Amino acid sequence: MSRIGRFVEKVSRQRFVERVLRQRRIGRARIDPESDAELRTAILLRSARLGAGSVREEFVTSLHQRLSSEFAADPAPPAPATTRRRRFVQLAATAAAALGVGVGLDHVLTGAATAASPVNQSDLEPDHATWRTVAVSTDLPEGGVVRFDTGTVVGFIRRTNGKVAAVSGICTHLGCKLSLNRPADQLDCPCHGASFALTGAVVQHRLPIPLAPLPDIAVRETGGVVQVFTPNA
Amino acid sequence: MYPNWEAIYRDNVGWVYGLLFSKVGSRPDAEDLTTEVFLAALRPLRTSATIREVRSYLVATARTVLADHWRRTLGRELTTLDDELFDPALPETDTSRDRTAEADRILADLQPNYRAILRLRFLDGLTLKEAAAAMNVTVGNAKVLQHRALRAAAKVAERIGV
Repeated sequence: MSRIGRFVEKVSRQRFVERVLRQRRIGRARIDPESDAELRTAILLRSARLGAGSVREEFVTSLHQRLSSEFAADPAPPAPATTRRRRFVQLAATAAAALGVGVGLDHVLTGAATAASPVNQSDLEPDHATWRTVAVSTDLPEGGVVRFDTGTVVGFIRRTNGKVAAVSGICTHLGCKLSLNRPADQLDCPCHGASFALTGAVVQHRLPIPLAPLPDIAVRETGGVVQVFTPNA
Repeated sequence: MYPNWEAIYRDNVGWVYGLLFSKVGSRPDAEDLTTEVFLAALRPLRTSATIREVRSYLVATARTVLADHWRRTLGRELTTLDDELFDPALPETDTSRDRTAEADRILADLQPNYRAILRLRFLDGLTLKEAAAAMNVTVGNAKVLQHRALRAAAKVAERIGV
């Protein structure tokens, strides 16, 4: 490392330690990984101060207010037709998790969820929709995958054995946008690490609840273009 | 089972915060991350999950939130949340007691002036100026001393595995 590099590194490291001592936000920093043990020791020593890990009452109150307004603004969606089945599955998952106690946490969660992967794949059938062109056929060779966004729906189209098919590109857990993981040929959720096959089937997740597969979206190929049947804006 | 999300929040906010604080060492950061955990975790948790499941899910969420925090700030995961830290039956609400024991073990292995500067600054909460006055050295000396002491403490921590 150059002299200037060493100086910059020293300043960043000192600032990190001072922020821990003064209880400021640490923020972005470029620090050589060689200093990691020192930074961790600073955190350990600071959190050893008596009562350091106790939460402030003001914070508890303000977060409570924030959560209340979030949940009041967004009531639970109406129960779907499969409620009864889902509740059964939920109980099964709960029981499975209870039996799995003592196993590593991830195994409990994954195991319970996979054992109870129950929800059937549904089709996206909008009430008022039109065919929209989202790709030209030559952009979608055999084995190819293309992401599309019509404004109302995002998803992925693929070509397998010459045929085109499409699934939604939104995670069925909390609605985060999925990204295409090409080496693994799957769709990954950035929020909680769930992943789906290109067919929409659940590959893996660590949620304590059953996860639905991605809905299929109607797709057709006509006149050298690929179109999806999606709702009007 | 918890009757509602408010019960989940009240019963668990304390230890979630304590756990995160012991991993980031800064109150505003620990508060930000605690907020993220509850915003992300409460919605899917409004189901009939057991207390143990709720806590396991909160820890799993906290683990992800902490990893994202370090990737955003340092570009690597400086600290991680390990399974062994956490007992879903009885989560620790004040992690400072465990940390105090670990800190004592580290400090006991250091030369006296290193031990003194770290104790004054990290455990007693003195400013650099106050610590320098208490040790009867210049502020510049105290600064150098603190840096060397922290480096020595990090070596001890690695050796004794805390």
